Amino acid sequence: MTLHQILFIVISIAVLASAVFVVTTRNLFHAALMLILSFFGVAGFYVLLEAGFFAVAQVLVYIGAISILFIFAVMLTRGMMGMPRNNSQAQGAALVAAAIFVGMAFVLGPLAATVQVPFLPNSSPREIGGIPWAYSTLPVVPDQYVFDLGRALTEPSRFALPFELASVLILLAMVGSIWVARERRPAEVQAERVEAANAAAEDTKLEEALERGSVSSAPEPAVAVAAADHH
Amino acid sequence: MVDGVLNGIPLHWYLLVASALFCIGLYGVLGRKNAIAMLMGVELMLNAVNINLVAFWRYIRPDDSAGLAFVVFVFVVAAAEAAVGLALIISVYRNLKNVDPDSLDQMKF
Repeated sequence: MTLHQILFIVISIAVLASAVFVVTTRNLFHAALMLILSFFGVAGFYVLLEAGFFAVAQVLVYIGAISILFIFAVMLTRGMMGMPRNNSQAQGAALVAAAIFVGMAFVLGPLAATVQVPFLPNSSPREIGGIPWAYSTLPVVPDQYVFDLGRALTEPSRFALPFELASVLILLAMVGSIWVARERRPAEVQAERVEAANAAAEDTKLEEALERGSVSSAPEPAVAVAAADHH
Repeated sequence: MVDGVLNGIPLHWYLLVASALFCIGLYGVLGRKNAIAMLMGVELMLNAVNINLVAFWRYIRPDDSAGLAFVVFVFVVAAAEAAVGLALIISVYRNLKNVDPDSLDQMKF
């Protein structure tokens, strides 16, 4: 067994074990910490896949930003620590997840089989789930793939538009989440409550009016139907 | 890389681990009672997708950065989703003192 294989197996066990811990533990703070360990393992996968840039991005974005958000959210909702772990459909969810995993493993099983299909130059052919494809034998040049990615993200004929849309999306998400989670002053809340109460009163008034008017408005559809029949 | 095996690791090892991670995340989304734990499950699922994308990029098309571009977009969407989702949960908790999605049915008609 090579060093890489041993590393892969160790990282896989760490990722999967911490992921199982995340979805089974009752203490959400521990779940958030285990989520960080799982994210680290995924960064290790990126290193094994010779995509070091994405390992760094994973650590910065997932561990540095998203996990911290989760920890903040867990701490801001401390009163919910004692709630039950699973909802009523947890057993069905476990069944569904297991069934999907079995299905995917069934598809992945024949991957080891070699099928001779000429597909791409510089490649050796394989198939998975009946779909032929080919492994590339090209090496990855360190740094070069990051340059290529940067060019692809800014080239109008490739991903410039999705890239700009992603920027707009994350800007809107940031502004929106700040607006949604903002701390409101008691006076503001009071004003909103009064407004809501007024609106509810209006609604009941409207409903009452509708109920009173329903007798007079009932014949209208009958007239419409009669008119339609006439034509 | 010789015959689809990179440093002794074939592609389907990555795919198997990613599918297991995806299913664990799916169980978390469907089975947990706390909305924050559900969002954690979503993050696990997105990570499984990212492993697949990078693995396919490396084994099949290392000369094309489309796979990596998708990983970038998944990063962005995951960050946006976590920010909005957690802000909503915090706001709901502040107003209703509850983060159980089953009991948040005020908008039911």
